[in-house]
Amino acid sequence: MNDPRPRVLVVDDEIGIRRALHASLSTQGYLVREALTGEEALQMVPSFRPDVILLDLGLPGLGGEGVTAALREWTSTPIIILSVQSDETAKIAALDAGADDYLTKPFGCGELLARIRAALRRACQPDATPVFVAGDLAVALAEHRVKLRGQDVPITPTEFSLLKTFIANANKLLTHRQLIREVWGGAHYEDSQHLLRVNVSNLRRKLEVNPARPRYIVTEPGVGYRLRCETALEERTA
Amino acid sequence: MQAQSRDRALPELLSHDNLIRSLSVQRVIAFFQRFESVALPRNLNWRGVSATVAVAVSIVVIASVAHPALERVQPRLLSVLTIVELLAFGLVLSSTIAAARANDDVRRLASQSEALYAFTTSLAAASQLDQMIDAMAIHFPKTFGRPIAVMLPEGDKLAVRFCSSGLEFGETEREMMDSAFRAGRETGWSTNHLSHILCCPLITSQGIFGVLGIAASGSGFLAGNHELRLLRNFVEQAALAITRANLSEKAWHSEALKETDKLQKALLNSISHSLRTPVASVSSLLHTVLEGEHAIDFATRRQLLQTARNESLKLNQLVQNLLDMSRLEGGGLRIRTSRCDVEDVIGAALEQVDAVGARHVSIAIDPSLPWVPMDQVLIVQALVNLIDNALKYSPPGAPIEITARQSGDHIQIAVGDEGFGIAADELERVFDKFFRGSAAEAVSGTGLGLSICKGFVEAHHGHMVAVQRPQGGTEMSILLPVEGIR
Repeated sequence: MNDPRPRVLVVDDEIGIRRALHASLSTQGYLVREALTGEEALQMVPSFRPDVILLDLGLPGLGGEGVTAALREWTSTPIIILSVQSDETAKIAALDAGADDYLTKPFGCGELLARIRAALRRACQPDATPVFVAGDLAVALAEHRVKLRGQDVPITPTEFSLLKTFIANANKLLTHRQLIREVWGGAHYEDSQHLLRVNVSNLRRKLEVNPARPRYIVTEPGVGYRLRCETALEERTA
Repeated sequence: MQAQSRDRALPELLSHDNLIRSLSVQRVIAFFQRFESVALPRNLNWRGVSATVAVAVSIVVIASVAHPALERVQPRLLSVLTIVELLAFGLVLSSTIAAARANDDVRRLASQSEALYAFTTSLAAASQLDQMIDAMAIHFPKTFGRPIAVMLPEGDKLAVRFCSSGLEFGETEREMMDSAFRAGRETGWSTNHLSHILCCPLITSQGIFGVLGIAASGSGFLAGNHELRLLRNFVEQAALAITRANLSEKAWHSEALKETDKLQKALLNSISHSLRTPVASVSSLLHTVLEGEHAIDFATRRQLLQTARNESLKLNQLVQNLLDMSRLEGGGLRIRTSRCDVEDVIGAALEQVDAVGARHVSIAIDPSLPWVPMDQVLIVQALVNLIDNALKYSPPGAPIEITARQSGDHIQIAVGDEGFGIAADELERVFDKFFRGSAAEAVSGTGLGLSICKGFVEAHHGHMVAVQRPQGGTEMSILLPVEGIR
């Protein structure tokens, strides 16, 4: 139990996926445990105390969404959903229930490791950094000021609230629903979706060099947005 | 034809002089035989008439023979005989008139059978239902001098397939046609004198195939008259023809089903080939790596494994394409539209194409472009496919050009490349399922990507266009209606 290695719980009913993940994560210095079902995973989490959970969406019995919801009742351990492309709706449901990120099968090992590192970093981040810096973007959270390449950027309160939510969840995929809840409160979801899009578009115009190829605020079609920061960018290009 | 020659024969035979001259008993018998055969009426009591005529003629014959002798012996008796002779001739004359009337019947029968013959001939020549209805539309009014309407079942209702311009055909008539169809018997004129049409169901041993309505005003179709009998003959012929049309349509349908089946088999063959190829290469590559564990150097092993990975990714893409295709074709595609920023859509698509890498991509978006209702996931995927193709089918260093502008009541998102291009005669077909251009053979692909794009775009009531660029290469466009799906 005193193993210093970061702990990963792999929950998947496919032996091929479990073996591949076990092999690649072990060689990267992670301590890996496997669970075959959601129920088994729920039993293992309190004793194994994983740092990250890799959760297959298409589990028999209690599915990915159910497991996420059950875990979120008592733990904020990062959960990365593993799904196939046709699972769109279930994927969004699991993200809305509190999962942190998702990966579409089949995925490369590099991509997986990057997501795990980002999740771990988020988990041990202090709640609020007074100044958030990513690339040529600097945001003073207390002062509500945004600077791009040293220049002040005029920003509306809604845009700032949106940006603050992104920064608090840097590199985490935020669903439309989660963003709307954070920025507009419990407003009507359908109406707010358009508001969200318009504000994201405005933010991009203010922060991105080329809004058609955004560097910071990335769209996950049909799911939501993610603020991509420097560390993740470095991993991507590496 | 025969009837005409008989027409001429009869007055000739009956001329008085001729009668007087034909005195031999054989001739008289022969005359009666001919007379019978000519005016063989079925509906008059001609046997009685001929017997009378026979008696009268016999008297005339005897009188004629006896005439010269009697003239000399007893002139008064002669005058009596002349009266008898005249009486007999009158009888013959009246019977001739009756024969002529019978001859009218013959003529009518002939013209009716000619009309029926013409009708059945044109029905027999028709192979399709529409042609049969055309034949009915011509021959019924021509023969009966009355306008008609034809109603045939369509789904669970009767639909008017033809209605002569002169026919008064409203809701009442429709209802009558309907009740004739349901009951399977004639309704209208013959059963209900209030109506001006007679509705005849088109019945054969196979069932009821429709209803014919014919104007019955004026003299009407009285039970037992010739016109009604002929009408029933016509209706019977029409019913037989329509049955035939229905049967051949069923046969055609099963032929079409066979064709579909054939097509599906071809598809299955093509798909299983596309599936098996990467599976076979993955498993043989892995076999090689496992079995030659010590004999293969590190670099070779790595290369083999990389190939295996690429093949399996290809397999994954194919399965995804097939799933999308079945979603499109099985009607399982549900689109959720909301107004989207085209800039965002282009950005999201480029984000998903790993292969973009260092390729130069120029993006030109009309700043006044409106936000357009679309299912973002589907349009991004369609655009990803286009960008992927542009990269795949152009040389590694060639730039990609993405433009978005309004074109009439559509927005057009175009992806242009400086690649190998598509032959002019293949531009239309590139969106067909499993079609692969002749220039595309060198690059692996499933032939499904563009047809899926097209399906996604058409689900938005939009369309896709492929053109050759003047400077070489291809431009593929997605056109979406600005107002979204109406």
